[in-house]
Amino acid sequence: MNLKNSQWYDIARDTNWTPKYVTEDELFPPQFSDPFGIPTSAWETFDEPFKVTYREYVRTQREKDVGAYSVKAALSRVDFYKSADPGWKALLQMHFGTIPLVEYGSVSAFARITRFGKGPGMRNMATFGTIDEIRHAQIQMLFAYEFLSVDRAFDWAHKAANTNNWVILSEHQCFDDVEHTRDAISAAIMTNFSFEQAFTNLQFVALSADARRYGDFSFSTMLQTIQSDEARHAQIGEPLMKIMIENGKKAEVQKMIDISFWRIWSQFSALSGIAFDYYTPLDKREFSLKEFVHEFVTTQFLRNIEALGLEKPWYWDDYFLPDVDTYHHAQQIGIYMYRDTEWWDPVAGVSHAERDWLEKKYPGWNDTYGRVWDVITDNVKHGRLDRLTPKVLPMMCSMSGFELTGVAGKHWKVEECMLDYEGQRYHFGTPVDKWIFEQDPIRYKGYKGFIDRIVDGTIPPGEGIFDYMSMSPEERGRCGTNFTWADDLKKLA
Amino acid sequence: MANFALVCNYEFDYGMKLLQVDSENTIGEVIQVARDGIAGVFVAEPEPGVTLKLRKYGTTEFLDENLKISETDFKQTETIEIIHVYPKA
Repeated sequence: MNLKNSQWYDIARDTNWTPKYVTEDELFPPQFSDPFGIPTSAWETFDEPFKVTYREYVRTQREKDVGAYSVKAALSRVDFYKSADPGWKALLQMHFGTIPLVEYGSVSAFARITRFGKGPGMRNMATFGTIDEIRHAQIQMLFAYEFLSVDRAFDWAHKAANTNNWVILSEHQCFDDVEHTRDAISAAIMTNFSFEQAFTNLQFVALSADARRYGDFSFSTMLQTIQSDEARHAQIGEPLMKIMIENGKKAEVQKMIDISFWRIWSQFSALSGIAFDYYTPLDKREFSLKEFVHEFVTTQFLRNIEALGLEKPWYWDDYFLPDVDTYHHAQQIGIYMYRDTEWWDPVAGVSHAERDWLEKKYPGWNDTYGRVWDVITDNVKHGRLDRLTPKVLPMMCSMSGFELTGVAGKHWKVEECMLDYEGQRYHFGTPVDKWIFEQDPIRYKGYKGFIDRIVDGTIPPGEGIFDYMSMSPEERGRCGTNFTWADDLKKLA
Repeated sequence: MANFALVCNYEFDYGMKLLQVDSENTIGEVIQVARDGIAGVFVAEPEPGVTLKLRKYGTTEFLDENLKISETDFKQTETIEIIHVYPKA
């Protein structure tokens, strides 16, 4: 007789045995397991919304892999890539350099939750999460590997994470903080809730939809298989947070959300934002970053937060919402102009038609960021190539590791927050970044960002910058369209 | 020899830049370094008659162009602003 899952699942995964040979604290050291002192009996109430058995898990994962790999086998990815739009190529080059080994890093975070989580259901779900993240790293690495024969940029799927490239340092700075240097509870709230519930929909659902519209079906299918995993283990966060709040730790949970949401937002805005609004070919774009954020973050995520009895992050109205309109536009300018410091070949994405789209989606774009692009366009039109590679370096935020930016042009507003702390000067792009530092200076102090390393001589000037980033001349980004994006603007001149 | 780093907030630009100058450079020379690196690259060249002035970030008073960095209270990576000043009508 086959039992239904509901008849045995809870008791089978209830592995909170009473230890005899070691103490509870030796089995679950508080600094790794629970520095908040929640009673074990409370952790035993952890009730995961997705109840999955190992047998079901393996079957489902196998089906996902079969689906993704058969689409890949049926379609010639190399031929597709060769004829792809330069913007789509840039998107793939950037995605495969930044994402796969972040996924692999998440294996460690999930493994920590698996070992040290005090809720049996939490450990069970994190076990699946650990295996998920291994699969995410492997499948993306394999998909990238296929392009190696036609584009050197995909070497960076493996290489990027082991370099001092400034984009990677920024990723490390964020994910080392939220995933890798926290106890099991904090890492789960910051990763499973803030990261996976708030933002992975953007990277995997929204990007998958764009990929499908563009005709990149294998990339789209691969992203879907990843997101279905993210959706499952994203749900570790909610029951965990309920337990924390019921046991008087609401303020601690709120602070974790406020810190991690902002840190991860900066990453997504700068990298996914430019992919949606500048790299995706115009005729295949359905939604802007702002619209995707409205759908997945300001609606769904906020509803989830409020359902738990938490508040929206304190900076939501004054900093987050304005940032949705601005941050990635500024980052796009820097990423394009400093393209030789990146492994991908960025596109400008500001042809006449693209500018019209940007103005429609972000009213006022022409008077702000458009003013900077006017100068760049004029240089392209007149062949002043020396002005298309800046001689001065950008300044970077001490928290996000991205450029210190703001609103350009007619409504110019570029601000920073400076802090002198124990002999080191820190420059923050927003009061939120500075606030994060001030919540735990011992954690953040002393970190030297990319520009700090140039100023203190760790990174030699000139060519030494590229040596430090392990970037040979052949590996440096070039304009993905070789400046032809300005051709239609030349005709209009 | 560049031994002094300044963070430059150049009016109308999208983001701040790092200027590597010498502590014996004058404010006028710093303005020129900023202009050489940013005007015509990210921001339009100043129109005829417009002058560029420098002030410490968070202040309103422009500094004398002949003042040397070493004569100011600037610390390493001090943030400065370069502002367009238009001729009086």
